[in-house]
Amino acid sequence: MNDLRSYASVTRWIDNVNRYYQLPASEWVDRLAALRVFCEQVGKDPDAVIRSAVEEKGVKVEMMRRSKQIAKEATRDARAAHDQDGFVRSFFIHNGARVVVRPYEEE
Amino acid sequence: MEFLEACGVRRSIRIFDRKKPVDRQKIQRILEVVRVATTCPGNLQPWRAIVVDQDKLAAPDRKTLLAADNYQAAHAQAPVWIYWCANTDSARPESFRARVHELIDVGAMPTYYGWTHETVDGSILRGEIAPEGMANIEQIIHGMPAEMSAMIARQETVGACAVAVLAAVNEGLGTCLHSCHGADKIEDVRRVLKLPASWNAVWVQLVGHSLEDREAGGQRPRLPFGELFFEMDPTRPFVRDETVVKDLEREGLLRAPSPKPGRFEELMQIGRKLGYPI
Repeated sequence: MNDLRSYASVTRWIDNVNRYYQLPASEWVDRLAALRVFCEQVGKDPDAVIRSAVEEKGVKVEMMRRSKQIAKEATRDARAAHDQDGFVRSFFIHNGARVVVRPYEEE
Repeated sequence: MEFLEACGVRRSIRIFDRKKPVDRQKIQRILEVVRVATTCPGNLQPWRAIVVDQDKLAAPDRKTLLAADNYQAAHAQAPVWIYWCANTDSARPESFRARVHELIDVGAMPTYYGWTHETVDGSILRGEIAPEGMANIEQIIHGMPAEMSAMIARQETVGACAVAVLAAVNEGLGTCLHSCHGADKIEDVRRVLKLPASWNAVWVQLVGHSLEDREAGGQRPRLPFGELFFEMDPTRPFVRDETVVKDLEREGLLRAPSPKPGRFEELMQIGRKLGYPI
């Protein structure tokens, strides 16, 4: 996979988020790393991920399930896993793929 | 809270503190305000409200009501949901007749304008032309179809909601109106709330403690005054007196517009605290 920033969907994601929240470059390191892991696991580049998620509802649902699973496998910390899954969901949201978002589960 | 300040800080709050309960007395105070302050033709008062404490709902019922509102996050967070319903039966000709008789008897409607039990009955029951000086109720009320009653009940209930929102702000609470249901979920909401046949849910008022600052980022964009208000005819904008504007700024009605500095930092901070993806 190429540099993630070379994909239109990733550029759009970064631009949209930074338009409102102006995240420092350091935050994007973790966010992009989470997206890269996700893309590698599903075997698609970011643009292809969005294309299939937007065009096929069933694919999107399955991708969200995978995202959650990948995040859980990456860390035992429930909040950290939730955040990592959230990075991927943010990527989807800012590319027009409607996904469900949830807050942290109540402790 | 002063009236103009309450109007000035009224916002549709979209982030509530899920864990902080709402004092029941504050809910009663909101309802008391609506009961007293809401205006309605013929004093029909066709609004009804069902106060729902979401923590007291059975899980399937809670889910059904949330699903009807597309699981909107603010709905899931707000501890109290007030379902405002329009009662069509309260806007039928016989209701109008009874309520107007009542208004005449308490001295709210001057008989010297023509308002008497006899003229009201003649117009509503028999379609007799109302005397000049009073409303032409024979045209509006006599033989009024049920669809019109439903429309009147609904529009007047919306007015009650506007009052309820300001009343909640006055109590220092966060509040927001949501549509109760999509077209395909009407019966679900009716079933869970056990609504009588003549009641229709119009809005659900979310009530809780806001996690947003009171300003919630500032006053929302509003169309220019001159695009909304006119004098004598729609080609002549109502000219704004700047001294009035200055007075209203001082009195708290006119406030800094959104986004105030720091608004997106606030949203980011809350979003992160709750675990929403930025």
